[in-house]
Amino acid sequence: MHLPEIDKYAHLDSPLQRWDARVKVACIAALMVTVVLMPTYPLALAGLAVAAGMLAISRIPFSFVLVHVRWVLLFCLFLAVILPLTAGGERLWQAGPIAVSRRGLSTAGLISLRAVAAVLLVFPMMGTARFHVTLKAMRRLRVPSAAVQILAFSYRYIFVLLDEMERMLSAARARGHGRAHGLRKLRSLGSMLGMLLVRSLERTTHVYHAMAARGYRGEVKTLDDFRLRPADAVKGALVIAAAALLAAAGVLA
Amino acid sequence: MHISDGVLPAGILAGSGVATLGLGGALLWRADAQKIPRVALCTSFFFVASLVHVPMGPTSAHLLLTGLVGIIMGPLAFLPILFGLILQALLFQHGGITALGVNALTMGLPAYAAWGLFRLGRSVRFKGSPFVFGFLAGWGAVLLSLVLLKVVLTFADESFVGVAWVVFIAHQPLAVLEGIVTGFAAVFLERVAPGVLEEQHE
Repeated sequence: MHLPEIDKYAHLDSPLQRWDARVKVACIAALMVTVVLMPTYPLALAGLAVAAGMLAISRIPFSFVLVHVRWVLLFCLFLAVILPLTAGGERLWQAGPIAVSRRGLSTAGLISLRAVAAVLLVFPMMGTARFHVTLKAMRRLRVPSAAVQILAFSYRYIFVLLDEMERMLSAARARGHGRAHGLRKLRSLGSMLGMLLVRSLERTTHVYHAMAARGYRGEVKTLDDFRLRPADAVKGALVIAAAALLAAAGVLA
Repeated sequence: MHISDGVLPAGILAGSGVATLGLGGALLWRADAQKIPRVALCTSFFFVASLVHVPMGPTSAHLLLTGLVGIIMGPLAFLPILFGLILQALLFQHGGITALGVNALTMGLPAYAAWGLFRLGRSVRFKGSPFVFGFLAGWGAVLLSLVLLKVVLTFADESFVGVAWVVFIAHQPLAVLEGIVTGFAAVFLERVAPGVLEEQHE
């Protein structure tokens, strides 16, 4: 099974990995909102170029990125097939009942550029620091404590649940359930999901009580702390300037 | 079922974002700190379920389980779905960060319908079987999500009408599948650990 390992390359050394996570998350989020709203092809391409540039700076390997963006690419492919056939309006090309709409084709292209640009920006934003550091940065950016706790706990539980599920699957296979088909398979899947819930709900409640008994009050305290250096501010200013330029050009276009 | 980044216009993104922040914020504000582990566990459950692929004719689809989340979480059902989608967007680039509001609403609100249906089932002591109400909850939640998705897409841009229909029809088998799995899960939970459900349904 494919594990969520977005921060696999957080240890590499680049201006992005060295950037203060608080400034990084806030600035890239602003840039992301801008690139998804680019109204024309040249601007959407410019957004994509900025995103690709930042990705290149981060030194995250291209093969890793490709595996992770396959869902978005599939989605773009789906749009590129369906939209031109269904959008209507001026016809670019026609064969019998099948007509390719100019507007559909251009909308699908524009959406794909924006979607890919936004998704590429996730890597510089989330992939250049360990996940817990990013969460801590979010907390400093005034994201409510309960929200950060939920994200932190559920990130941890994902791995617990995957382990547990793997164990249950091999137990089921050992008992000969593995080759069930149809309704029988769905039945064992439903029971397994129920079992997974029952077991892990108990466990998480125990863990939480144990943490509370040891003084956990909802804030995780760590020794390392953020320090804002001049370089962090300069990088932030650059990214915000790029976002502002794109936004201004978008409004004028 | 997700809408990706870059599809919807700013107005819809902003409106749904504000609604999601409002609803999520209100639930977080009102929720007891004791509920955090349960919400977090359900969040990862929702996330992990999306990694389970079930065969569906020639292709396969992944489970959504919004109905089951609704049954288990009751009034807080919106939170695991919202945070699950956040994790999917951040860790898997599945869905989109700027489209989070829309996706959370289209998938989170139907979870409440599932909860209501299952509650109704409990109140009549499951005439028939928990399976029937589990099925209705699971199937209904996905169906309602599809209806909401279709409304959003149609409303966003008239050229999306065709795409919206294709998505709506292509996901109908998944809705039935979800219903069956949720039904079996409900039977299991009622038999093995009725306490898990009790909390939300008394």
